[in-house]
Amino acid sequence: MTAPRALNEFIAEANEILEALGRELLALEAQGGAEPDPDRLNAIFRAAHSLKGLSAMFGLDAISRLAHRAEDLLDALRLGRAVLNAPLLDGLGQTVDVLQSMLGEASRGEDSADLRAAAEALASDLSRLAAGAPELEVDVLDQVGIDPQIRAVFTEYEEHRLRENVKKGVGLWKVRAVFSLEDFDTRLSAVNKLLKPMGEVISTLPSSQPGDDASIAFDLVFGSSRERAEVEAALPDGVSLEPLAQRVLTPAPPQPARPSPTPMPTRKPLWDDISATGTALTPLPMAGSPSGISSPSRVSQDSLRSLTNTVRVDIGRLDGLMNSIGELLLVRSNLERLAESARQSTGHALPKLWGQELQREARALSRRLDELQKGVLDVRMVPLGQVFDKLARLMRRLVRESGKEVTFDMSGGDVELDKLIVEELSDPLMHLLRNALDHGVERPEQRNLQGKPTRATIGLLARQQGNNVIIEVKDDGAGLDESRIREVALERGLVTREQTDEMERRELLNLVFQPGFSTRRDVSELSGRGVGLDVVKTNLQRLSGLIDIDSRRGDGTTFTLTLPLTLAIIRALMVNVSGRTYAIPLNAVLEIVSVKDDALRTIEKREVFEVRGQTMPFIRLARVFGLPEEDRNVHYVVVVGLAQQRLGLAIDELLGQQDIVTKPLSGRLRGTPGVSGATELGDRRAVLVLDIGALLEELVRHQLEPRSA
Amino acid sequence: MSSRFAELLDRFFYRPDEDVGPFLADAPESDRDANAALEETPEEFLSFVLEGETYAVPIHAVREILKITVVTEIPRARRNVLGLINVRGEMLPLYDVKVRLRLAEQPPVVRAAADVPRSARILLLKDLEGDAGVLVDRVDGVVKLHLSKLEGTPELGVERNAIAGLARRGDDMFILLDVEQALA
Repeated sequence: MTAPRALNEFIAEANEILEALGRELLALEAQGGAEPDPDRLNAIFRAAHSLKGLSAMFGLDAISRLAHRAEDLLDALRLGRAVLNAPLLDGLGQTVDVLQSMLGEASRGEDSADLRAAAEALASDLSRLAAGAPELEVDVLDQVGIDPQIRAVFTEYEEHRLRENVKKGVGLWKVRAVFSLEDFDTRLSAVNKLLKPMGEVISTLPSSQPGDDASIAFDLVFGSSRERAEVEAALPDGVSLEPLAQRVLTPAPPQPARPSPTPMPTRKPLWDDISATGTALTPLPMAGSPSGISSPSRVSQDSLRSLTNTVRVDIGRLDGLMNSIGELLLVRSNLERLAESARQSTGHALPKLWGQELQREARALSRRLDELQKGVLDVRMVPLGQVFDKLARLMRRLVRESGKEVTFDMSGGDVELDKLIVEELSDPLMHLLRNALDHGVERPEQRNLQGKPTRATIGLLARQQGNNVIIEVKDDGAGLDESRIREVALERGLVTREQTDEMERRELLNLVFQPGFSTRRDVSELSGRGVGLDVVKTNLQRLSGLIDIDSRRGDGTTFTLTLPLTLAIIRALMVNVSGRTYAIPLNAVLEIVSVKDDALRTIEKREVFEVRGQTMPFIRLARVFGLPEEDRNVHYVVVVGLAQQRLGLAIDELLGQQDIVTKPLSGRLRGTPGVSGATELGDRRAVLVLDIGALLEELVRHQLEPRSA
Repeated sequence: MSSRFAELLDRFFYRPDEDVGPFLADAPESDRDANAALEETPEEFLSFVLEGETYAVPIHAVREILKITVVTEIPRARRNVLGLINVRGEMLPLYDVKVRLRLAEQPPVVRAAADVPRSARILLLKDLEGDAGVLVDRVDGVVKLHLSKLEGTPELGVERNAIAGLARRGDDMFILLDVEQALA
């Protein structure tokens, strides 16, 4: 039996492989009809191969079998026996999905018959695709006059690449390189790197004519459209160029092959032996040598190492680390306080000196702690691409099934966010994308009628903005109908007519996030059943995020998600409100101003004030929280905002900034309005962390009414 | 009578290995009802005092007993939530059950140890919905009660939803608290 731990490692690794596979497939698709990049094809092939080997090792035969079929198909593709087309890409995309589901089952120790059947069906599809359309043609290699002896040592893949190069009509060269035994590996890869931009290194063969005992010679078969002189000029000393083929392909009749100037023996099995002993993890050389034969240095290095030098860590352990750091931060502030009071102690000189010493050490500790904290935070960060790639695959499938014509536009996959946030994002984003496809985008006929481009666009765009990440899900579809939203909201009793009369366009649009709201009754196959936008919103709020909507009838809809970079440790502004301390996450704080009492105005009995020409609501936190208010002429106002919304929170006292570890409130208190969690201060006191997103939300919904006037 | 003493006596007199239940079950003429009573092992409860009345909860539902330190009030929380307590880094709610049990009109304002009598404790109760603290006036101790001897609550016009039943032990009466309901 395999230990569960080992299995978990495998699942994690296999997932990574699949993610990479998915990514490469997308890139392949993005190339459109262009000839696939051999490097990319090889990378995909390798991924499938690794997965096959790994899963077989763990006795997951079903996975191994499907991966094997995929590998066969990719091999055929690589060798030019199959043509890259839409059905083939679909098949491979589905394979990745099914493999992911199977891995999921394997990790839970399940094995459902449904999935098994799906895998079998897919496997036979793949075999069919792999077998289809074998290319039968006159061998062009015969036509250009390449020494059969050389051809004899080529692998099928190399021959295929050679053929492709001949078909392109590029010149074929033999690059002879003699290097000293000491540094041949680095120099060989240098030459490879040099040649790569000018063409394709089809094969690297050990030469039959070693220079002397201290050196080793290689023949690189190289295809390039450049002139001979140009290539030669780029080559370093000790590397020479000669033609391999007699001529470039022309429609002339075949010529008898002429012996090559340097007769080549069958390839020595020197490195083949090494690669044969390599583990299943590295069945093929790493990217960078498209030839299918690795440069010697790579093989010997990679054979024993694992594929990546990354460490997989359970996020729970990072949380534990984070908590420890949080405690350390508390110790630090205590230490600083002690040092300060010792330093200021009057009378004796000794405590004073100690105090100074202590303070210096505390400062050093403080700096190291900051580094540690930043380091742990960095470790938690992962690119959004982890989720985006999965979504792109899903969209591809959904678009195909919907019969609509849609271009899926994606950017910002490299933006990094806390792992936990990224994980939690996949469901809300999937829901929004499905909505866009299902309800937003019109059918091609309808679009034509409206004079819109036939092909609709759905976008998933991310960017970082300060301490926040903004993700937009937009479509250029039908857009939302405000009057219809108003009707439905009234129908469902979500709002009163007086309320809707007062509402601005944006407020009306935001009604779609109310529980129990849906402008479409019929639940289609595509959109998630019974799950509405309110769930999306709740999910986001749990991540301290905010969602906003903008839509124009006929022009489309844009959902804007604003998320903090991390939830683990945040910098917060500590404030006092009638004797109680609260923490306001600094990522929501825009500025702090003081406002005179007589500068306050009211609009519809609601207090507002002005900051540099912008009027915004003035909210007395004490009043909202039902606490006794202090009478004052000048108010401290913390201007907070997320996305487009602004709000001034009147507080009594500013205590300064502090790094805090926010702890969620226990289950029973979840949903306490305006509070996202709690943190502890040095004296073990619990301090509430304000949920600015929720407070803004209440304001939009006109719910931020004072408890006691 | 202190129930602590009762517990000591219990320990002294009660021997699980002397239980004759299994043998009786094999005897064909044995009375079924007597059987049930004899076979039942008493359950352990933690007894505590609220406004002079003695209450009890199953001991396995109690995570720990804490003294009151700092309680952070939670604005706009439900009325029976006294505030937030920090239990070694875990942020847990502290509940008042007296209002629910109609023992008091108003929940007390508790911010620090000075706001409550010295004998007051927090019972930290384990609960699926999330652990929660309950403020009690005094903790008496562990008592063994026979669940089969549970009485229903008499019709007195009191809040009965939060009470699971009554149990007697000698002259002492214990009101069994339904934790789920009491915190609702």
